[in-house]
Amino acid sequence: MPLLEGKIALITGSGDGMGRAHAILMAERGADIVVSDIRAEPAQATAEEVRKRGRRVHVVIADMADVAQVKNMAEEGAARLGPIDILVNNAGYGQRLETMDITEEDFDRMFAVHVRGSFFAAQAVIPAMKERRRGKIINISSMWGMTGAPVASHYCAAKAALLGFTKAWAKELAPWNIHVNAVAPGGVRSGGPMKLDNSEILKAKEAKVPLKRYCEPVEIAYAVAYLASPESDFVTGQVISPNGGEVIVGY
Amino acid sequence: MERPSMKLAGKVAWITGSGRGMGRAHAELLARYGADIIVHDVLQDEAAITAKSVEKLGRRVFVTHTDITDTAGIRAMVAEAESALGPIDILVNNAGIGQHLAIEDITLADFDRMFDIHVKGSFFCGQAVIPGMKERRRGKIVNISSIWGMNGANTASHYCAAKTAILGLTKAWAKELAPWNIHVNSVCPGGVITEMPIKVQGWDRIREKEQKVPLKRWAQPEEVSGAVAFLASAEADFITGQSISPNGGETIVGF
Ligand SMILES: NC(=O)c1ccc[n+]([C@@H]2O[C@H](COP(=O)([O-])OP(=O)(O)OC[C@H]3O[C@@H](n4cnc5c(N)ncnc54)[C@H](O)[C@@H]3O)[C@@H](O)[C@H]2O)c1
Ligand SMILES: NC(=O)c1ccc[n+]([C@@H]2O[C@H](COP(=O)([O-])OP(=O)(O)OC[C@H]3O[C@@H](n4cnc5c(N)ncnc54)[C@H](O)[C@@H]3O)[C@@H](O)[C@H]2O)c1
Repeated sequence: MPLLEGKIALITGSGDGMGRAHAILMAERGADIVVSDIRAEPAQATAEEVRKRGRRVHVVIADMADVAQVKNMAEEGAARLGPIDILVNNAGYGQRLETMDITEEDFDRMFAVHVRGSFFAAQAVIPAMKERRRGKIINISSMWGMTGAPVASHYCAAKAALLGFTKAWAKELAPWNIHVNAVAPGGVRSGGPMKLDNSEILKAKEAKVPLKRYCEPVEIAYAVAYLASPESDFVTGQVISPNGGEVIVGY
Repeated sequence: MERPSMKLAGKVAWITGSGRGMGRAHAELLARYGADIIVHDVLQDEAAITAKSVEKLGRRVFVTHTDITDTAGIRAMVAEAESALGPIDILVNNAGIGQHLAIEDITLADFDRMFDIHVKGSFFCGQAVIPGMKERRRGKIVNISSIWGMNGANTASHYCAAKTAILGLTKAWAKELAPWNIHVNSVCPGGVITEMPIKVQGWDRIREKEQKVPLKRWAQPEEVSGAVAFLASAEADFITGQSISPNGGETIVGF
């Protein structure tokens, strides 16, 4: 039996990039997928990939910045496929802005999508996880949430807040055997680096990584799939950072 | 449990201290994922049991009883093992000993043995396989540290510091060996039910300590093996210099 056989995974922002890779890999390992994204077309394309792998899929279009839509996403997903076993809080975006250029609007949306969206997505799936006394929540933070960066301080702080939820929820939800962990990717060939950086910048950034490259989205999906599986049932409150050796934290 | 893939098919994995406990569980899971195994333990009967179980899984096995502190012996053993099984792709530095001693009670002999087995042992096992990994421009080293190496404990400070030194090796090797695509990571187990804590701490203390873990239990050895197998596989090719700590939420570090 594949490791995620019969599980139901809700993956936010799974229309593109890493979210799509998570959806495909988890489907290959036996999970049914609630695909959620703010953009309908790419979400449908991901759904097609899941179906091709013989798994059930339901698409919900939702803006993670809108709490009512977030709640509806979780309810509709569970109503269509069954109670959510795995939540991956992945939806997000970057902005290459210095602190003085970040407007109140930039700030609010950054926190609304990453922090408030992830919080209320979890709040929507936790009651059913508690009832069944098991569940897996994986928050997608970032290397920048661990170390900061010279740009996008609002993004860095939002990603750090996701680490805060991870640690607090791990403790609060342990009595119900719900495991909460984070994945903090380094450079990935998706999203920001592909959409916001040109190839020169990308090359220069890759040269600074000890392994001398950025990774493909699926390489992050492997870490997420491990944390979603029973192989990690004693792992909670932890962070896995696939980052090519770029960030090695101290203890 | 059937596995999603034979993600270690054709690999050769050397697991030190694999006669019993977590080392045996790692040997069994890596074999299930397709790897041939070098079973290495000073305990001969225990090593034989692990070897049998690897063979039952249809994998090849090489058994050695070399004491890990015998550096020359280790080098010779590696040559022999590689001629039997082929080049070593994966090294899991797992062999270790525990002690429950206050600072004043740690003798020079205790101190030296603790560092010899954990730190010097891991270092020279690494040195024995790194040249071949460099040549093939790939390799995986998984060093077994401990939550006590991350946070310390109110006993066994020589053990804690040795486990911290292993984290130091992990980070430095990750950087030094990245140009050859060799990935080096640690696994830092929390409480795991094996002979080591049963002997060193006893069941009463274990049961008491389990209550302090958010998940309210210690792990079975095989629950740590998933992390080791993940880090040993190509699935973790972008992960180096990191630690995974299966600890039931007992230790949640800050960044
Ligand atoms: N690419 C990297 O190098 C990198 C590094 C570290 C962390 N991350 C994080 O990983 C996650 C995935 O990023 P990616 O690189 O795959 O990016 P991506 O742009 O390819 O995918 C992100 C998806 O999220 C969706 N999304 C964005 N805002 C949304 C909203 N308000 N509501 C619902 N969906 C929304 C997008 O439509 C998109 O499909 C993000 O949280 C990102 O911050 C990325
Ligand atoms: N059990 C725990 O709670 C726990 C927690 C954190 C870390 N660890 C670490 O995990 C590793 C495995 O421990 P375990 O709990 O499975 O203990 P264990 O005692 O069951 O296994 C350790 C094995 O290492 C072997 N070994 C010891 N000295 C050796 C030497 N000089 N040469 C060759 N082999 C030698 C032993 O014979 C034994 O089979 C150790 O490094 C230990 O420090 C254990």
